[in-house]
Amino acid sequence: MASKLGRLFSSISTLSAPKLSLSNSKSYPLAWSVSDSASRLICSATQQPQPLNENTNKQQADETTKNDIQKESEDDHQEEEEDEDDDDFVNKATGEVGGPRGPEPTRFGDWERNGRCSDF
Amino acid sequence: MTTCIPAGSGNLHYSSALSKGHGCRKTSWVSGIALKRSTQKELSWSCSVSKFLRFQRCNFSQSPFGDNQKPLRTVTSSCLRDGSTKYFDFAVIGSGVAGLRYALEVAKHGTVAVITKDEPHESNTNYAQGGVSAVLCPSDSVESHMHDTIVAGAYLCDEETVRVVCTEGPDRIRELIAMGASFDHGEDGNLHLAREGGHSHHRIVHAADMTGREIERALLEAVVNDPNISVFEHHFAVDLLTCQDGSDTVCLGFDTLNTETLEVIRIISKVTLLASGGAGHMYPTTTNPPVATGDGMAMAHRAQAVISNMEFVQFHPTALADEGLPTKPAKSRENAFLITEAVRGDGGILYNLGMERFMPSYDDRAELAPRDVVARSIDDQLKKRNEKYALLDISHKPREKILSHFPNIAAECLQYGLDITRQPIPVVPAAHYMCGGVRAGLQGETNVQGLYVAGEVACTGLHGANRLASNSLLEALVFARRAVQPSIDHMKSSKHDPSASNWWARPVVPLVLASDAMNKVEKMTREVRKELQSIMWEYVGIVRSTTRLEFAEQKIGELEGKWEDYLFQHGWEPTMVGLEACEMRNLFCCAKLVISSALARHESRGLHYTIDFPHLEESKRLPTVIFPCSSVKSTWSSRQLSRQPL
Repeated sequence: MASKLGRLFSSISTLSAPKLSLSNSKSYPLAWSVSDSASRLICSATQQPQPLNENTNKQQADETTKNDIQKESEDDHQEEEEDEDDDDFVNKATGEVGGPRGPEPTRFGDWERNGRCSDF
Repeated sequence: MTTCIPAGSGNLHYSSALSKGHGCRKTSWVSGIALKRSTQKELSWSCSVSKFLRFQRCNFSQSPFGDNQKPLRTVTSSCLRDGSTKYFDFAVIGSGVAGLRYALEVAKHGTVAVITKDEPHESNTNYAQGGVSAVLCPSDSVESHMHDTIVAGAYLCDEETVRVVCTEGPDRIRELIAMGASFDHGEDGNLHLAREGGHSHHRIVHAADMTGREIERALLEAVVNDPNISVFEHHFAVDLLTCQDGSDTVCLGFDTLNTETLEVIRIISKVTLLASGGAGHMYPTTTNPPVATGDGMAMAHRAQAVISNMEFVQFHPTALADEGLPTKPAKSRENAFLITEAVRGDGGILYNLGMERFMPSYDDRAELAPRDVVARSIDDQLKKRNEKYALLDISHKPREKILSHFPNIAAECLQYGLDITRQPIPVVPAAHYMCGGVRAGLQGETNVQGLYVAGEVACTGLHGANRLASNSLLEALVFARRAVQPSIDHMKSSKHDPSASNWWARPVVPLVLASDAMNKVEKMTREVRKELQSIMWEYVGIVRSTTRLEFAEQKIGELEGKWEDYLFQHGWEPTMVGLEACEMRNLFCCAKLVISSALARHESRGLHYTIDFPHLEESKRLPTVIFPCSSVKSTWSSRQLSRQPL
């Protein structure tokens, strides 16, 4: 497989930089050499997230305050567009709260929402 | 081990340094423009750079200029001119996650300036929508995260760096949560962890699909509320201010240009953190916002900092190609719209403009081949056929499915007259992330004393030859934090010299230029930028060759000369600054660094693929390192403003 790589691109070297020619060479079965990059993983299983051990009193107090504030803003939020992600939306498959609706963003390895990729 | 880097000299010596670390022990050395290969000595990544850092005070009684420098005749006149100087303990260039995280920490120990060239939220961080990776699940492990990182990095990562980042990541996330960043959680109240390509476990923490923005929001709020931190918006950093302490280069601050008032502000700081992000705008299509012009990498290189691994530029294979849309967008898109792999996963087919399906001839997996294979294949087709974009066709799938899975793409394309349920989508690869940058040790230190780096501008050894998804925000968080203590120590052993501000000529705004000369200069600069981007895409793209790289080197050298001549012919002076001109000189600098690095790597690894050396070579599994060297023919773009010949 590795040697095919050289052949595949040998036609590029004839496109010597100063004069780029339009090379309409027929493609022939060649393959890239195996790269070391990780192959794409398809996210299938839903894994239960495990506890994040964070239980100092201060943090609990902070979280309570935060929850109160969050609740207030949630009440305001309910009035807004229905097609936006609801803070109370629970993803049945993953148990995620407030996450993106629709198919799992990472199901093809990259991070996608509605077709637009934002991380990979 | 000691390292001597005399400024202005091309000779660099490393005394013996045998370390028994794993991973990359040797470096392949590229000295400046000459591209000579020095004798390789064994040194570990962290060992070499950490030894550069010495907690000595710079001897301020010494002249800041080397022996071979002429005293600048404008120094006296600059003093008389009214220029503003501000003094800080710490100064940060860049307001992304790395800069802000660091600022919040050091602010507990002294005064901090955060300089940002646009609005504070304008940074690559804000556009990082996926997530941040960390080991937060008991069934996950640091070893697993390390392994995934090293595999993705094509084994060019520095193992110690990877260990440090994967180990400290979880604590950095917890701190963010404590600071108010709100991440998605499950019904049981625990963090929801997603799993992205390349990761063997679920470990991506995210906030819906705007993680970067959420982190940026939380940090910015804290920064704004911190009385010790002063944020300078719309301040463009021009050049670092350095002096020599024996053989060491010391950074004492930097000059900035307030792009709104056109005033030059000199910042004298005991410690400087460079957190200026990426350089996507070296290329015509990029996901990066317009601020990403490689300013930090260029400034650091001009200041004699060591640069590493610039050849590893990450591209995404399928960004929406505006030139293929029936109706062209009125304004050129600032950052690319990436088409998800899910389109290919759902059966999308790639064609060239001759409507030939080309993927099967490159890989048996065709459109489902790994992303980098697809990127190379598309690039190859475009170069071979001299075409501007390829076509991704999903129109053979049911209309309802297309619209329900990809409403974002459908809507975007429809705006410009394209119906993706009936026509193929024009796509072209987009530059996304710089794996290389200013070489950093484990504490974010550089070979320039008092200068630290964190985030995309740095090359820490984490990413190696290719970045693992969601590791970039993590790297920024970890290194920003690690740079804190050494910064504090350095700050405490430093003292401001009140006369320091006068040691360097001040940059000046081109007020003396007639307005039509200024217009001509600006217009020419815009054209030259487009031409640079075109050369980079054409000759320093995804599939490279020695011939094309050398051609690019030559063309860019000529373009730089032509541009600088034009400027000076129209009255521009070497110490003049303007946003477009300064960004242009930084882009030239970075482009040359990428090309030199790419030419130096005689193998293909990770993101760097060259047809002249198409295979991995174990003996070449080394970082590419560029040392500064003075050259007789140095250009305006390659010298600090304060060291321009007059």
